[in-house]
Amino acid sequence: MHDHIILRVITKLLMPFIFLFALYVQFHGDYGPGGGFQAGVIFATGLILYALIFGLRSAKKVTPPRVLRVQLALGVLLYAGVGVVGIMSGAEYLNYDVLAEDAHSGQHLGILLVELGVGLTVSAAMTLIFFLFAGQEQ
Amino acid sequence: MLFAVASLAVAVSMLFALIRALAGPSVFDRILAVNMFGTKTVLLIAIAGFFMGRPEFLDIALAYALINFIGTIAVMKFFRYRTLGLPRGGEDLGDL
Repeated sequence: MHDHIILRVITKLLMPFIFLFALYVQFHGDYGPGGGFQAGVIFATGLILYALIFGLRSAKKVTPPRVLRVQLALGVLLYAGVGVVGIMSGAEYLNYDVLAEDAHSGQHLGILLVELGVGLTVSAAMTLIFFLFAGQEQ
Repeated sequence: MLFAVASLAVAVSMLFALIRALAGPSVFDRILAVNMFGTKTVLLIAIAGFFMGRPEFLDIALAYALINFIGTIAVMKFFRYRTLGLPRGGEDLGDL
């Protein structure tokens, strides 16, 4: 893809906006359509676009698969950790009410952290799936 | 009423794009038709959002436009190079 200058320039222009839109979907999910899964997929879409245009080798330099594997586990850990904090504070698993002083801000914090965990895991998983498929021999 | 007519018109033009995608002689006709279908889907989602009084559908339309663009590039690259990642063997191969 070295001779496709339009695709390369458009990709460089578009990528920051894709990541910005992913973050918007992630953190605006409680007021509009969106959430962790969708934001993770959009974030991975930016990386997949980069890998499509600039090649798998450069994409693996940007996000090495071992970092993605750590990110994959970290998201699940964050999700489960929020649940365990609920148990530690004397409530049920994934009970958000005890995360802060009053129940309302505790729920807000809990859903934010859980969605962040989902977003981390999904973006890492989607990118790894693409790396795996694109790296296959014919 | 205005939005209903507009979404009906977009739906009819989507049908034409679909016919071209099914009938298109070459693969590029089909890709172009599918890309056009995706663009019209973005329009339809936006119109339907205002029609149903939920303008936050624009977010979904934006995401759809993004996926449509990248999907078209991916399909075109696959048909041109027969691969998605330009693998050269060795460390470039699948790693999980």
